[in-house]
Amino acid sequence: MPRWITTATAVAALGVISPAVQAEPLKIAIIESLSGPQTSTGRLIATAAEYVIDQTNTAGGFNGEAIQVKEYDNAGDTSGAATKFREAAADGAHVIIQGASSAIGGQVTEDVRKHNIRNPDHPIIYINVGAEAMELRGKKCHFHAFHFTTTAPYRTVPLMQVMSEQGHLGKRVYSINQNYSWGRDMETAIVDNADRFGYQVVDKVLHEVNRIQDFSPFVARIKSENPDSVITGNWSNDLLLLMKAVGDANLDVTFGTIFMDQPGNVANAGNVAKGHYVAHSSNIELLDEAGTEAYKKATGHYPVFIEPTTLNGVGLFAEALKKVDFEGGDINVDEIALAMENTTFDNGLGGMHVRKADHQAVIPIVVSQVASDVKYPVDGTELGFKPVKTVAGADAIYPAQDSCRMRRPE
Amino acid sequence: MEFLIVSTLNGVIYGMLLFMVSAGLTLIFGMMGVLNFAHASFYMLGAYFAYTLSGLFNFWVGLIVAPLLVAIIGMLIERYMLRRVHAHGHAHELLLTFGLVFIFEELIKLFYGDFPVSYQRPDYLNFAIFNLFGTDYPFYRVFIGLVALLMFIVLFVLLTRTRVGMVVRAAERLPDTARALGHNVPMVFLGVFGAGAGLAGLSGAVAGAFFPTNPNMALELGVIVFVVVVVGGLGSLAGSLIASLLIGVFSSFAVGLDWSLASLFGLIGLGDWANSLGGLVTMPLSSISATVPFLLMLIVLLVRPAGLMGSKN
Repeated sequence: MPRWITTATAVAALGVISPAVQAEPLKIAIIESLSGPQTSTGRLIATAAEYVIDQTNTAGGFNGEAIQVKEYDNAGDTSGAATKFREAAADGAHVIIQGASSAIGGQVTEDVRKHNIRNPDHPIIYINVGAEAMELRGKKCHFHAFHFTTTAPYRTVPLMQVMSEQGHLGKRVYSINQNYSWGRDMETAIVDNADRFGYQVVDKVLHEVNRIQDFSPFVARIKSENPDSVITGNWSNDLLLLMKAVGDANLDVTFGTIFMDQPGNVANAGNVAKGHYVAHSSNIELLDEAGTEAYKKATGHYPVFIEPTTLNGVGLFAEALKKVDFEGGDINVDEIALAMENTTFDNGLGGMHVRKADHQAVIPIVVSQVASDVKYPVDGTELGFKPVKTVAGADAIYPAQDSCRMRRPE
Repeated sequence: MEFLIVSTLNGVIYGMLLFMVSAGLTLIFGMMGVLNFAHASFYMLGAYFAYTLSGLFNFWVGLIVAPLLVAIIGMLIERYMLRRVHAHGHAHELLLTFGLVFIFEELIKLFYGDFPVSYQRPDYLNFAIFNLFGTDYPFYRVFIGLVALLMFIVLFVLLTRTRVGMVVRAAERLPDTARALGHNVPMVFLGVFGAGAGLAGLSGAVAGAFFPTNPNMALELGVIVFVVVVVGGLGSLAGSLIASLLIGVFSSFAVGLDWSLASLFGLIGLGDWANSLGGLVTMPLSSISATVPFLLMLIVLLVRPAGLMGSKN
């Protein structure tokens, strides 16, 4: 159910009383998977994004008005996202936030690009907080799209680096991924870094996404290659089932993962998860306690999984808003986009900014290990994510792709 | 040899799980002619109920009570929903159960949250039953297989060797005659639907502790159980068992075999040419192992439209 959030109604009320002409409120549309199988990700993104906007509104809003946020449920597919995009554009949205699924991200970013060509006077900004496909920063890149999450090579390099330093990567690496753009990106990244970190990819497997109930045949295949570590970009059930199947067979391998911190994983895998690695954009153990507790107070839980990424991305956007001032007049979206390019935001682990060439955010990556002596245990277990090392954004990031040809506003 | 034994074992156990879920579906279709799309939702409900009950009491209470609760829900659906639309034909029944799928999915999210819950088997069931070529084989997998086997035997004996089975089959074949002989036919249908739902609930309670219990579990298994029932022949219990095992074993072997169309061309000396084409031609079988059941369904439908053990019309 869409709802406009107007926590800072006081600000709006003041606007009515004061004699000034009415200001244009900034409108943000969150087009997310709020029903269907991807709800678990979509809901978290919406929660974190609204938290940041709420804070901005409490501090006085933007352009003399409270920022208006509206949720649109894309029901987890691209056609739903396209419909909701048209709805949001008709509602006069200036900014669209989306993250769950690269496929939907691809739909939204293309819709935004086309809208902006047709309506140069009323462009829309797309803030991507979760879609990791390389293509979105390559062939599909455009000036109004900002990518605050990482990509496969961006996460694989720090993951490999830290696992190798800790002596858990080994010489024999097994690559198992999902058979679509993301999994293929992961496989390429794993193969490409073999020489750099001195390992051999003993076998690589692509399997269908969220279709496989029984991973034991894959475990038999992994076992026959006798690897030291298994690197996988799998998420949700595909990660959980794989990890459990390997645990049940008592194979002695270390997992290097990207999405282990998805809620429910550690609880379900139990001690099987212990010792495995995850490369993520933040680990709350490294962050300021006051901020983390404030988030818990507002939302009922500590920021997890995709929430820190969303907090960072929307946080940088909110920071950029402070740099522009339309003095209560019409909002110029291009100016906000330019301000975002020139904003540095402290996400608690260091400064982050947006690379101008392809609008990929340069953010540090934390590599953590599942362990029992942690400050914030997860899922009601005694296990949690122990930060091992933070790799600076500049060391982890991949070079901008040649396929990105961005046309900037004059 | 190792590959052969491990893959067969994995495939058979997975097949038994598929049979466990699809048994209720084929029972309901065979006896009542209702194609129940919400069947996998009963499987999910069973897992969630068992999760709650195992937290309140213990694992075994969950295993026994959860299927009963699901059976009651199934009976309520039959009595107050399906029976009302029955007169309007099969399409309406199908659409009704299709809608129930979404309602159950969102209801589960409402009560249990979006994330997988931690439904675990008790520690004393958590051991390796034997060691196969250096890999521990978990006892619980064998347990799933045994429960499925038991289920098949009980169902088979009940339907073919007892008076209850005779009445049920009579009510399905000639409802008017059965009614004339003094049998309460609607009550029989109520019982069959409840039993079918309960069986799905039982498989959820058993399998949910092995595979994660999450709001998507109905979606993940929903399609494949239909494939099982279609391949086996609509309404045939033995057919379902054979189809489940076939699908389980085929999927399991497909993962281990890196065959592709290109390797097929290689046999006639066109391997290099095929490899240069790339795309679908070089796609290994393991990447599409989950489509194997559908391929099987396609072939079976072409050769035997009624399914492996289905009777014509």
